[in-house]
Amino acid sequence: MDDLTLQLFFDSWELFKDPAVAAILLGGLLGMLGVYVVIKRMVFFSAALSQVAGLGVASSFWVKVVFGASWLTSPYLGAATTCLVAVGYIMTQRGQATANRDSALGLIFLLGSAGTLAVGTRIVQEVQDIESLLFGSAVAVLPEDFNMVVFTVVVLGVLHLWWHRGFVVVSVDADDADVRGLKATLLEWVLLLSLAAGISVSTRVLGALPTFAFSVLPAMGALKIAPNVPRAMSIATLLGATAGFGGYLAAFLYQLPVGASQTIVAAILVVICSGIGLVITKSKKINPSAQPAA
Amino acid sequence: MATLIHAQALAVGYGRKSILPPVTFEVGEGEVWGIIGPNGSGKSTLLKSLLGLLRPVAGRLALGEGVKLGYVPQRTGLDLAVPARVVDVVRGGVDRGWSFLNPLYQKQHQPEVERAMKDTHVTALAHQQFSTLSEGQKQRVMIARALAGDPSLLVLDEPTSAMDAGAERVMFELLGELRSTRDLAILLVSHHLPVLGEFATHAIYVDRDKSFIESGDIQTVCACDPCVARYGNVLGGPKHG
Repeated sequence: MDDLTLQLFFDSWELFKDPAVAAILLGGLLGMLGVYVVIKRMVFFSAALSQVAGLGVASSFWVKVVFGASWLTSPYLGAATTCLVAVGYIMTQRGQATANRDSALGLIFLLGSAGTLAVGTRIVQEVQDIESLLFGSAVAVLPEDFNMVVFTVVVLGVLHLWWHRGFVVVSVDADDADVRGLKATLLEWVLLLSLAAGISVSTRVLGALPTFAFSVLPAMGALKIAPNVPRAMSIATLLGATAGFGGYLAAFLYQLPVGASQTIVAAILVVICSGIGLVITKSKKINPSAQPAA
Repeated sequence: MATLIHAQALAVGYGRKSILPPVTFEVGEGEVWGIIGPNGSGKSTLLKSLLGLLRPVAGRLALGEGVKLGYVPQRTGLDLAVPARVVDVVRGGVDRGWSFLNPLYQKQHQPEVERAMKDTHVTALAHQQFSTLSEGQKQRVMIARALAGDPSLLVLDEPTSAMDAGAERVMFELLGELRSTRDLAILLVSHHLPVLGEFATHAIYVDRDKSFIESGDIQTVCACDPCVARYGNVLGGPKHG
């Protein structure tokens, strides 16, 4: 372990570049998207979706084992299909009591977890992939996976920069969005599908654990210090990217599983943000005139 | 006088089950309508139907041509854990229809945002966090958000539920001011008939338990038997059946 230094990490940058950059990009993307997850009080949504995406990926491995490789056995297709079904089911709960929606998410989470483990027993030769899927222990990213990450981040990034006002309104006050004729159902569908797309790609590339962590923790931290939602998104993007890279680096330096390391770094960032948030709140109480004039 | 809302034999409820008898009324420009009645009497169900959030069980409900609604939800409508400055909340009220596709839309409507904040006397609070405001201030900000979309009818769900009598009167005075300066019609749900009675021009009294609904001018509605039985003869007018 003494040999594992920052110097060595950057000397070997060519080796670590793709997984580290993928972690930065997906951490940043999920950090931003996670703000919707937190303000819509759907933290369980990303947990459920990352599990059900895992089931999709595992199922695609199983189909490959049984029927042989084809375009139908793409892990992305598997993850996207299971996520689409899950989002469709969640949308049927729109407008219903929160308890119903939570129960639906619980069902999806449990089916995803149990299904992944059950399918995993049928594909013992791919057990390494299943483990990396669940715990994010992958240390390398294939070129095609890296390209998929870049494509997903660009497409979802542009979509969210463009439509963010609509997404924010349906997230904070869906009734008001409906009254103002804001195409609330369409916005909610697109928002959830974009979350599903980000989560399914991240689950395939990074694993379920860091995916869930990136889609919740950076947003939690950012919302404690940001003055409004758009700024929370910028901060969460930064925190997510930092956790992605910092976690990867820490995993290298301290020989930790990558997903666990990224999750721990993200959690530490939440603690730091909570401290900063407390200081900001106290300073405003001590000096209320510090509020900028209108 | 233009009609903003026309309800014809409108029955409201959930699914196919109506919870109140059918009602017919028209809300005209500049009128102030109060929806009154006991707790759990169907006021919110009627309001949600008028806002288009619930499908009517029967009858017809139509908005006048070009009528824009501004909605002020109950005070629990916004999650206080979501950070937002006053100016962010008000600016968020500008978007309508597909306007979120235009990145410059909010900037183009900045004058409406400023006017809404000025009319509701919250300009000085623009950069304060919404969650730190008093109940009265929060309600004024929510009204500003609704006004930012330049509505012709302002709909408020129990705007004074968390206020004492003094703050309630101030709120109604503000609504009266907005009504005259902006030529607004107002429709609101309220438990507090005495102040509403001074301020409203029309009312709808609902009582789900008695399967009763009455609409019309404020004097007529306040004099109906179930309303008098509940609130007394608030306006001091003649008693109607």
